[in-house]
Amino acid sequence: MHPYDRFARWWLPVGGGAVLATVLTVGWATQPDRFAKGYAPTQPIPYSHRLHAGSMKIPCEYCHTGVRKARHAGIPAVQTCMNCHAVTKTESPAIRKLAEALRTGQALPWKRVHRLPDHVFFDHRPHVAAGIACQTCHGEVQEMEVVSQRMSMRMGNCLGCHRDAHAALPPGSPPRKGPENCNACHR
Amino acid sequence: MPDDTRRQPGEKTRYWISVQEGTGEPGGRPAAWNEFPEGAADPPELPADALSRRRFLALLSASAALAAASACSRPDRGEIVPYTERPEEVTPGVPNFYASCFSEGRRAHPVLVKTREGRPIHVEGNDRYAAAPGKAPYRAIAEVLGLYDPDRLREPSHRGKAVPVTEAERLLAERAREARSQGLPVLLFTEAVLSPTRARLLAELGKALPRLEVVSYEASEGGGEDRVLRSLFGGTVRLEPLPERAEVVLSLESDFLSGEDPGSVRAFAAGRRPEGPREPMVRFYAAEGRFTLTGSRADARFAVRTGDLAAFALGILRLLVERHGVALPRGMADLPWPAKPLEALLGPGAGEREAEALARDLAAAARRGAALVVAGGHLPAPVHAAAALLNLALGSLGRTLAVWPWPTAFPPVGRREAEGALERAAEGRYGLVLFWGGNPAHAFPGHRAFAQARRETFVRMGLYEDETAQAAALVLPEAHWLESWGDFEPRPGLRALRQPALRPLYPAVRQGEQWLLGLLGALGGEKAEDYALFLKERWRREEWPPASPVPFERFWAAALHEGLVPGTPPPPPAPSAGALLPHLEAARSETGLELVLYPSPALLDGRYGNNGWLQEWPDPVTKATWGNPLWMAPADARRLGLKDGDRVRLSKGERRLESPVLVQPGQREGVAALALGYGREALSVARGVGTNGFSLLGGDGEMVLSGVEVEKIPGRQPVPTTQTHHRMEGRDLVRSLSLREWARGEGEGREGHPPVSLYPDQEFPDHKWGMVIDLSACVGCSGCLLACQSENNVPVVGPEQVLRGREMHWIRIDRYYEGPEEAPRAVHSPMLCQHCDNAPCENVCPVNATNHSPDGLNQMAYNRCVGTRYCANNCPYKVRRFNFLEWTAFKREPESLVFNPEVTVRPRGVMEKCTFCVQRIEEAKVRARVEGRKVADGEVVPACAAACPAEAIVFGDLKDPESRVSKLARSGRAYKVLEELGVRPSVTYLAQLRNVPEDTE
Repeated sequence: MHPYDRFARWWLPVGGGAVLATVLTVGWATQPDRFAKGYAPTQPIPYSHRLHAGSMKIPCEYCHTGVRKARHAGIPAVQTCMNCHAVTKTESPAIRKLAEALRTGQALPWKRVHRLPDHVFFDHRPHVAAGIACQTCHGEVQEMEVVSQRMSMRMGNCLGCHRDAHAALPPGSPPRKGPENCNACHR
Repeated sequence: MPDDTRRQPGEKTRYWISVQEGTGEPGGRPAAWNEFPEGAADPPELPADALSRRRFLALLSASAALAAASACSRPDRGEIVPYTERPEEVTPGVPNFYASCFSEGRRAHPVLVKTREGRPIHVEGNDRYAAAPGKAPYRAIAEVLGLYDPDRLREPSHRGKAVPVTEAERLLAERAREARSQGLPVLLFTEAVLSPTRARLLAELGKALPRLEVVSYEASEGGGEDRVLRSLFGGTVRLEPLPERAEVVLSLESDFLSGEDPGSVRAFAAGRRPEGPREPMVRFYAAEGRFTLTGSRADARFAVRTGDLAAFALGILRLLVERHGVALPRGMADLPWPAKPLEALLGPGAGEREAEALARDLAAAARRGAALVVAGGHLPAPVHAAAALLNLALGSLGRTLAVWPWPTAFPPVGRREAEGALERAAEGRYGLVLFWGGNPAHAFPGHRAFAQARRETFVRMGLYEDETAQAAALVLPEAHWLESWGDFEPRPGLRALRQPALRPLYPAVRQGEQWLLGLLGALGGEKAEDYALFLKERWRREEWPPASPVPFERFWAAALHEGLVPGTPPPPPAPSAGALLPHLEAARSETGLELVLYPSPALLDGRYGNNGWLQEWPDPVTKATWGNPLWMAPADARRLGLKDGDRVRLSKGERRLESPVLVQPGQREGVAALALGYGREALSVARGVGTNGFSLLGGDGEMVLSGVEVEKIPGRQPVPTTQTHHRMEGRDLVRSLSLREWARGEGEGREGHPPVSLYPDQEFPDHKWGMVIDLSACVGCSGCLLACQSENNVPVVGPEQVLRGREMHWIRIDRYYEGPEEAPRAVHSPMLCQHCDNAPCENVCPVNATNHSPDGLNQMAYNRCVGTRYCANNCPYKVRRFNFLEWTAFKREPESLVFNPEVTVRPRGVMEKCTFCVQRIEEAKVRARVEGRKVADGEVVPACAAACPAEAIVFGDLKDPESRVSKLARSGRAYKVLEELGVRPSVTYLAQLRNVPEDTE
């Protein structure tokens, strides 16, 4: 076989395939959304949002109190859990763990589910004030046994809504847009 | 002023920034012309132990393998750790402000400490403090960095070995008990005792240790002022100028406008911004040898040798008495007038005509009780005696000068007494020597008391393992003032409380009083669990008005909340003028070179030496960072053949010192000046920066030395100044007008043709943020720079990098000289990103990392920046800063706690610049939106404006014609820097005003 033929029949397709496979593998491995959605780490307390927020209909803000006061919605203090669990289900091992934490002052390290990059300064306040439901970004948390991330929370998600907030706003809201300039979120 | 007489109306004033440029000397030109100094854009030089090629490849493959392995699992996103029991007042993400009190030397200043989730991140002034509402001294602002200093002591140590707290307490008590049983005296060597409760504790300790000797010494003070005032008032007093009531002020080499006391700056600046050319304006004269920041702002500045200042003041007094009928105080009839006539004292600059105008103005102001004479704390006794005499004759006491007795029974002593105590300590006469605060081993370099390391009878209580601690066997870690309790008297009758903004960072650390309280208990004295209770109890007994209808607990809670409790000022002590005579007779005029040692405006006596912010803070006059070059007059430098950075040896008798030189325009010939506080021998930042001026001080503590010899020695040591960096080539950048020029309508309007643009105008739908900077109010104190550094996480780069022009400050204070180099006038002009509407930086960014916001901000998206630096090249104001190296990633803990969590920490390779504190703007906008209202005028205050004691910086919405900033921008003095470029900056400057005396212009 002529060397050129060998090249055209073997090396070219194999090499091309290898290059393509590398590109695809690297592209898949590094795609930003690959790990974004569906992240549902195991938490130190098997807290069920489906039970508390779903069946019992405890409002989100009963626990996430910062959402109207600060940039962060906040994770409740152990004490907030004990508001009820001082008397309910005190025998369950998870509640015992909570009571122990409160007694010793030992902190409970919850696993973080939603994380924005350090250069993003998201502020919950204006979004909640505009009447946007928590579920718009966080998904139907009241149906989740274990909280998982439902939106990839990338800049496209932010801008998509900021350019046309119609779908996220409660019915009857005046048409409005969010800021689109860099400093609104990056500083 | 000479330049004024030469200048024709309408002729353009020439401004210059350095000696080389001012004289057109060749040396300075090319360096100033290079936008990036030599080496600025070079890659970092690698240390010898840097990574080799092989090692790099090995690491590369290892990390690639690791990356491949880790890519198969989900990245962990960290944890959120909520409070177990959330404190009622803490909402994560919302700052809390605690009222506290800063103190240093003789001053105390109420402040607010901004904390986030329990950690202090910023210091502001207390807005209830009437003397300076909302304004904090600049060193207090820098102190948040000191709190997180990794060099701080974390646990007690004995002979260099860490010991538990109980063991340290036992050792301390044992030493004290031994001293008591052997009948040996005990020495407590400390700083000025301003706090009444601390004094009460010391008094209690004195009961338990009958032979306790308290020596409170402030190394940055000359002692002359204290001696004079003690004989004048019969006791130690505190003296505070009140420029708000003055119409004519004379400063005798005083730096009262340095910003150390924001109250003085605020009051002075308030009198320096008339609405129109016919409105009243404070007139300010200065006489000095050293070119002080304060003097640089004078309407007429007399260049007088520092040693001749007493004679100058008496000469003015003589003019007052003989020409203007001012009466001498009683018992002063036989006052010896100085032998030298006034005109013989005056150097270049203001001359006899100005001296006559000064006497006339002082006499006229005195009739309304509105004259004020201030003398610098470092000056010898005769100057203070002459200044006191002038103030007595002009009736300033109680009007423009507040005098009140020292608030405690422990007044500061002079250097001679302090040295005496150290001598006795060296001889081993004390059973226990406790060094608390200060740093005597630095202030008395080479003193034999500190020759021996780890002396068994020496105990050190302090923040650091510093020079003094190395001489002590037992070292007790002290809490930072932000972690401590205390009380002060910042103004007569006014009580201020200090409360901790956080618990001490390290469990074994406690405030000095707490250690002493433990000692007191161990010695069988009053037992109190902790100093907070001791303080509260004293307040219950002594500060709570007995007939008050308010229960004590509420009174206490309110006092802690406000930080201040007003009270009745103590009656001012009565002066006896006759006591001044002996001090005046000591005045003598010397020849030869005079050396003025003065407390460093950055480090004071060296106590802030380990604070990188303050080390890199450009001196407001010379713009030198990281060191204390010797200031020399241009004429002296020429005579000795010296240029900036040449090294000299200074000798005064046996005492010697080597230092680089900096040629300082305006310095009187024959006067050299050196800042104290440098040349530290301990601590990682402070060590080896500058030279220790204390080694030239004699036993009398006189800080003005005469007959000092200077000789040039080989070698050069370039001074890292920010002086010539980021400059703008000789264009119309600052404007300065005398009131008469303003009345003639000079300085209004713009230079060159009106800016036209081919592009459509920017549109601003809601806001258009803008700033007005009043150069007439600005004193150049550079406090804004530190506030900006703290607010915006601006990194420190170090002296080598400053030499390459890589400093990162977002705001710089340009200082321009005008006139001849022997007697220039200075204009201080804060320069920051101008947020141009047609910003030249935006057009050249290849990745659109910098662009315009609909609020009129020139915004910078760090995560988009690829570091081409085109924007910095194209910026006509030279305000963009590039992260040439990684400044922040390798911090030692806990230093990263100082960062403001609302601002991104920028990595290497990214451009940055002033954002108008966009985090504060966004916070105000969000708050307004949530509350369904508009952002109110004055609601957004950037850090620089909040810190400015002169209130020279005003920020607001230019779209609202009624906002304060819009009104000021329409003022007759308004101009924009480089307006002819058509970039349309959002910052408007108001021309500096000078109230030049009549018939001298």
